[in-house]
Amino acid sequence: MSKATEPTGSPRASVLDRASPRGLAILGASTAVLLAATIAGALFLAPGDAIQGPAQRIFYIHVPSAWIGGLAFLVVFVASIAVLATRSRRWDRLAASSAEVGVVFTLAVMLTGPLWARPVWGAFWQWDPRLTSYFVLLLLYLSYLALRGYVNEPMRRARYSAVLGIVAFLNIPLVYFSVQWWDSLHPGPVVANPEGPQLPGSMLAVLLLGLLAFTLLYLLLLWLRIDLTARREDVEVTA
Amino acid sequence: MTVAVEAWRVARKDLRLELRTRDMLTAIGLFALLIVVVASFSLPTTGAERDPVAAGVLWIALLFAILLGIGRSLALEHEASCIDALLTSPISREGIYLGKVLSNLLVVAAIQVVLLPLAVVLLQLEPGRGVGLLAVVTALATIALVSVATLLSSMAVNTRTREAILPVLVVPVALPVLIAAVQGTEVALGGGTPAEAGSWLALLAAAAVLSLSLGIATFRHVIEE
Repeated sequence: MSKATEPTGSPRASVLDRASPRGLAILGASTAVLLAATIAGALFLAPGDAIQGPAQRIFYIHVPSAWIGGLAFLVVFVASIAVLATRSRRWDRLAASSAEVGVVFTLAVMLTGPLWARPVWGAFWQWDPRLTSYFVLLLLYLSYLALRGYVNEPMRRARYSAVLGIVAFLNIPLVYFSVQWWDSLHPGPVVANPEGPQLPGSMLAVLLLGLLAFTLLYLLLLWLRIDLTARREDVEVTA
Repeated sequence: MTVAVEAWRVARKDLRLELRTRDMLTAIGLFALLIVVVASFSLPTTGAERDPVAAGVLWIALLFAILLGIGRSLALEHEASCIDALLTSPISREGIYLGKVLSNLLVVAAIQVVLLPLAVVLLQLEPGRGVGLLAVVTALATIALVSVATLLSSMAVNTRTREAILPVLVVPVALPVLIAAVQGTEVALGGGTPAEAGSWLALLAAAAVLSLSLGIATFRHVIEE
């Protein structure tokens, strides 16, 4: 009963098919420049933190990674709805690629967090609500990718992982509330604070630069991953 | 036929099969009981840690029982290609899903009715007036767990690993339910009333509604073939 899958390499090429080399080059170069500027800004421009010392500078990597971890999961959710609505493998490429890139950034959050927490809190890990939420996010990503690994038929893999992508994403508010009702150690929001940003202008500038650089890095990796998947499908069709 | 009638017919078929074989009731009920027995040998049965530890043990036992039982329930349909007959019958996809959820719920509830009193005795618990809260927490958490596990197990049976992947799919999604169930059960074991576990009950109720609605909305995308 399943609808026929679209032939890959169909004439209506979109951004979810093979990437244009020129586009990749432009995006890659902008990402490299902004990342270099973020690292230079984090190390030299932003002032050191009076209490936390140099460990605080990991903030400029940690917060943008956390933002991408959430954004990538939102993209998985939206692409999953599109898979079920259209039955197009293009959307499945987007969902799968976003999950793979998202898991890398979520791992970066889980690695940079403890590096900061050890000198500042005195412990690598605490069962704090935000840490727990991110840990659960990582588990959801891993479970999503595990499911994809165990289903061979492409359209079935697309449908199944879309259902899991939707169920997992809509559970995130419940994850948030369930862990929120334990006391929080994690620093509160310093930027999206009702009284305005609570950090010096130069720190905020470097953070915003980092958020932009990481968003470009996410788009670059996502595009490369989609391109790779599209090429792989082309080989499968011609083989 | 309304969806409710369809669901009842599917559930009645499953329950009749279960009553003839008693596969789930015996194997899985005994397995859950064994976890509680092993825990009572190795965990404190007095002092301040008793209630939180017992709440954790109870939910580990119930979670394992639910995962094992539901993996079995969908695998049965695939053994003699019964699923094809079910799909060609004039029953809506929603009816099939709700019927499966209903039969799984009734089997798990039958196990819980025996297991929970036994656990209270074996782990030397004194819930007192917390019995009402324990029943509400268990009912809501079980509805949430069974409805999400039924949906995901209908995918798991079609993977290369069969049911083996089911826990990997269910547990991360079900973590908020498990956290709330353990916390609510701990309040109940201390003799608490539903008012004292209000936010946990609200979370469990939200999870039950969400899981069931997502199952109804997405089940037809899983079994179309």
